[in-house]
Amino acid sequence: MQDERQSALSRRNFLRAFGGASTAAVATAAFVPTEAHAYDPGEEETRARYQETDHVKTFYRVNGYPKGK
Amino acid sequence: MARMKFLCDADRCIECNACVTACKNEHDVPWGINRRRVVTINDGKPGERSVSMACMHCTDAPCAAVCPVDCFYTTADAVVLHSKDLCIGCGYCFYACPFGAPQYPRVANFGSRGKMDKCTFCAAGPEADSTEAEYAKYGANRLAEGKLPLCAEMCSTKSLLAGDGEIIAAIYKERVTQRGYGSGAWGWQTAYRETVEV
Repeated sequence: MQDERQSALSRRNFLRAFGGASTAAVATAAFVPTEAHAYDPGEEETRARYQETDHVKTFYRVNGYPKGK
Repeated sequence: MARMKFLCDADRCIECNACVTACKNEHDVPWGINRRRVVTINDGKPGERSVSMACMHCTDAPCAAVCPVDCFYTTADAVVLHSKDLCIGCGYCFYACPFGAPQYPRVANFGSRGKMDKCTFCAAGPEADSTEAEYAKYGANRLAEGKLPLCAEMCSTKSLLAGDGEIIAAIYKERVTQRGYGSGAWGWQTAYRETVEV
């Protein structure tokens, strides 16, 4: 009886020790803090596309009142 | 540096929805999404007023503030764009936006909405300019072609203005001076009295 209990306890201890060690290893690997990176679109993507072309100037002209009145 | 802005002259808008149609056609916007829409108040009553609404490309955009994956960015000419590669379709931006601009292509099980879609000021997205990949995700890139948003260019009554904020503000100011009264918007009379004094 005593032997059985002893062996049972040792089995549990083994599992506890083994499980605890592996959990700690996983936890250490999972929670290593890494630097958060926000989306950085870069200069090319954020550069201004707007150009005051003749097309755009015409839009401004026809939307305003005729000059000289 | 020019800052891109929309301005809708509500005194001129006749609710023809040409801006909505032009936008959908130009960008091949899928069914169920309206990047732009016309809102009418007091419909059919005296004082009826319509205003064309889309993303207003806010300076401190609330959509960008709440995005959990930080997919929004502002270009050098103040256009608020987003990356559909990063968007997870959570819908936070829709709740944050005071104009209801963000749209989602589908409503499916477990809250799946698909990638958010919104007005790009005809400046498309982070892909290379005027490529097929860019068009498929975001639509046409008219700004890179030296043009302005088609909704404004198509406006039959010249109600919807788009472009450099300072220039369109000057155009609107000239209109207000010419007609002698303001937009009729709430708070206008408080700010500028009955008539305009320049």
